[in-house]
Amino acid sequence: MSGWSAVHGIVVRDLTRSTRQTSRLVGGIARPFMWLLLVGTGFNAITRLESGIPYHAYVFPGIVMMAALFGGALTAVSTVYDREFGMLRLMLASPAGIPAVLAGRALAATLVGMLQGGIVLAVAPLVLVLAPSRWPGAVAALAAVTAMSALFGLLIAARLRSVENFAGIINVVLFPLLFLSGALYPTAGLPPALLLLARANPVTYAVDLLRHALGQPAERAMSVDLIVVIGSTVLAFLVTALLFDPEQRLAGGGGRGTTPAAVPHRGSRP
Amino acid sequence: MSLAIEAEGLGRDYGDVRALDALDLAVARGEMVGLLGPNGAGKTTAMLLLATLLSPTRGRARVFGHDVVGERAAVRRRLGLLFQETSVDGLLTAEENLLFAARLAGLDGRLARAAVADAIGRTGLAERARRPARELSGGWRRLLDIARATLHHPDLLILDEPTVGLDPEHREAMWSLLDAHRREGTTVVFSTHYLGEAETADRVVLLAHGAVVAEDTPGTLRAELGDGIAEIEGPGAERLARALRGLGSARVVFRTGRGYRVGIAGEREPVIELAGKAPGIERFGLRPTSLEDVYFARTQDAGEAAAR
Repeated sequence: MSGWSAVHGIVVRDLTRSTRQTSRLVGGIARPFMWLLLVGTGFNAITRLESGIPYHAYVFPGIVMMAALFGGALTAVSTVYDREFGMLRLMLASPAGIPAVLAGRALAATLVGMLQGGIVLAVAPLVLVLAPSRWPGAVAALAAVTAMSALFGLLIAARLRSVENFAGIINVVLFPLLFLSGALYPTAGLPPALLLLARANPVTYAVDLLRHALGQPAERAMSVDLIVVIGSTVLAFLVTALLFDPEQRLAGGGGRGTTPAAVPHRGSRP
Repeated sequence: MSLAIEAEGLGRDYGDVRALDALDLAVARGEMVGLLGPNGAGKTTAMLLLATLLSPTRGRARVFGHDVVGERAAVRRRLGLLFQETSVDGLLTAEENLLFAARLAGLDGRLARAAVADAIGRTGLAERARRPARELSGGWRRLLDIARATLHHPDLLILDEPTVGLDPEHREAMWSLLDAHRREGTTVVFSTHYLGEAETADRVVLLAHGAVVAEDTPGTLRAELGDGIAEIEGPGAERLARALRGLGSARVVFRTGRGYRVGIAGEREPVIELAGKAPGIERFGLRPTSLEDVYFARTQDAGEAAAR
């Protein structure tokens, strides 16, 4: 049972940390609302979509995806900080082993992402018409896309030795994944090369899944979206477990201590 | 009854660098063993190998009969580990840090809470248990770290420089806590640069250049250098050291940063007489042999052998 208690411990710790990093938590919630209000409102005035739905309603699933992606992935990427500051080796030294550590981190990141995505999802009635019967499906879809995001974050962290700041991850990885997913605009009009990238992007299918769940016109069958999202999540977990190097930060572990010194003896001890 | 630790030819390379050559080590259950040696001697590598956190390049090791490569989980269940750098989450309270560690060790629910309460009581952390760990002083953070490493009552404690940077009060508190675990039968392997701390170990293993250069009880290791040590400083120190060697009283001569030390056996009067007449001696003193002398003498031998 050590695996379950380790997962429990990691999840409780990560959630506790997240609630105490209020600026990061507030920033993670504010970001999608800023996009919804500033970009969504602006584009709403100038955009006419073929489907006929208003732009701010069209972009809403993409904004939920943004909250889930950033919340889940960035929480998982913080594994790199744990590696730098010695907490990861504590987890790796536990009897539970790497799979339990990764599962704990993934679950915690998913819950943080769901919290952030859930807050955005909660304002759905202000933006679009959502029948009460769709809520369970919407929450389930949010859980699926957030879990995928969390695993992507762990995959990014698997081989990173250090993260100076998260801006690089956000700009180089997360925004391209989001922009090439149909979250903010339909991908149909993209040039062929970008269209190919969009089709190879698992986030595209995650956004499509959210559109299904929120009752919007979607590009693919829900079954295809589900297969890609769940498949990507499982694949990311397996690749992360393979790439994860438990000896990182331990290798070359010569002592950093002081040179021998004539210090007072411990004296008589009982 | 199997040993707590059995290592045969245990070694680890980092690329072209041989961090640990071939460690042969047998530690009995309940024994306390101090690993000494200069920075880069292989102490931390040896501990990480025994703790299953590194894979050996060569050799093998067993902890309580379990192979450190093939039976990692079984080894880890018996192990309490203290790293050189403190492993404490500053955002969590001391109590939350311990609860996290208890769950990692496989304890949950009431068992975890009881272990945490016991650890807090043993370390005297009660007044600070609800404070964020980042607000604790370095000494208290280290004590919290040792509470974390011991709260599940491991059979083997591996401690990498447990008292580095601690003031005497916290150092005493740390050893007092470790002594309590030792009395309960816990096997302890620790490294330190504070050589006085190793005096109370059952056995000392001295590493240099990735190999064991001396291994015995502190008393035996000290006795091998002689009954006492003559410390000589000044421009005439080398000449006097050579003269003492010729006198037959000198068992061993070795250099330190400030001069020479000579291990003296037998009569001391001829030594004092010779030193009194020697020119260029700024400081001369006779004192009992310490582990620090053993450290300098043995690591210097190994260094010269490696240079040859």
